[in-house]
Amino acid sequence: MALAPGRMIAAMLVLSPVPALWAQTAMPDHAVAEPTQPGEQKATPHRSPAPKNAYVYLGWPNDGEIIRSTRFRVWFGTRNFGVCPAGFDRPNTGHHHLLIDVPLPPLDQPIPHDKNHLHFGAGQTETVLELPPGKHTLQLLMGDADHVPHDPPVLSRRISVTVRAD
Amino acid sequence: MFVKLSRAMLSACAILTLAGTLAFSSPEVRAQHSSMPPNARVYFIWPQDGQVVGSKFWVRMGLSGAGVAPAGVEYPNTGHHHLLIDTDLPSLTEAIPHDKNHLHFGAGQTEAQLELPPGTHTLQLLLGDAAHFPHDPPLMSKKITITVRS
Repeated sequence: MALAPGRMIAAMLVLSPVPALWAQTAMPDHAVAEPTQPGEQKATPHRSPAPKNAYVYLGWPNDGEIIRSTRFRVWFGTRNFGVCPAGFDRPNTGHHHLLIDVPLPPLDQPIPHDKNHLHFGAGQTETVLELPPGKHTLQLLMGDADHVPHDPPVLSRRISVTVRAD
Repeated sequence: MFVKLSRAMLSACAILTLAGTLAFSSPEVRAQHSSMPPNARVYFIWPQDGQVVGSKFWVRMGLSGAGVAPAGVEYPNTGHHHLLIDTDLPSLTEAIPHDKNHLHFGAGQTEAQLELPPGTHTLQLLLGDAAHFPHDPPLMSKKITITVRS
């Protein structure tokens, strides 16, 4: 079984469909990216355009959800926008990045790739997370073929969940 | 003489190229490129079987254990969604038809807004590869029945 990127990802599992889940209408939360320190100016890569009505949202869990398992499935909703694996430059598409317990990274640079920034460069639209008990934040951010956020960025609201041990 | 030979060679090359193209476009050869992991699954997140919905509703297409890629993008373990409305499965060895009963989401979409007349309707998802062919083995959802309110 191919493992999804990131240590927190256990595996892409076959689970029974989640019962009727409604997406929250996530208004893009345009939090300001961390300012670049003077003297460490990075070259600004090309940002792919995105339609203004494109948005992504966390289909599940919902904001404020209390999850009674340290292992749970997360599905990504995408509207007015398509999903495409990393490396393919197709208009109005991107691939998901799941930000865990971190603020938004700079929106004009490739999204970091670590245990707080999970990349779904194979076009995945859901995953299984394993998080320690406690409060966590989750946010989705689309990246283009080169992992750079679009212009305007396509991102979800940052939600908080509470994970409880089994 | 040289010109004639060149022409003959060009023709031969053209025939070989054509033969190559045909060979690569045959389903048997293509099927090797469009396999899916055994745990991959396509399903309806919404609506669910037996659901009663309004005439205009969103359909959310779920894919587990595999990825979504637009039509034309060759990438392992990916495909794009096709929504079959009020129809049985098409041939699984040919390209999925493209009409009002077989909606293609070749831009990598994972949701769609549908508008259906009141009554009972069936919906089924069938994943297609870069060239709109079902995978081998095919990846399809359960065929669900919904009722659209008048």
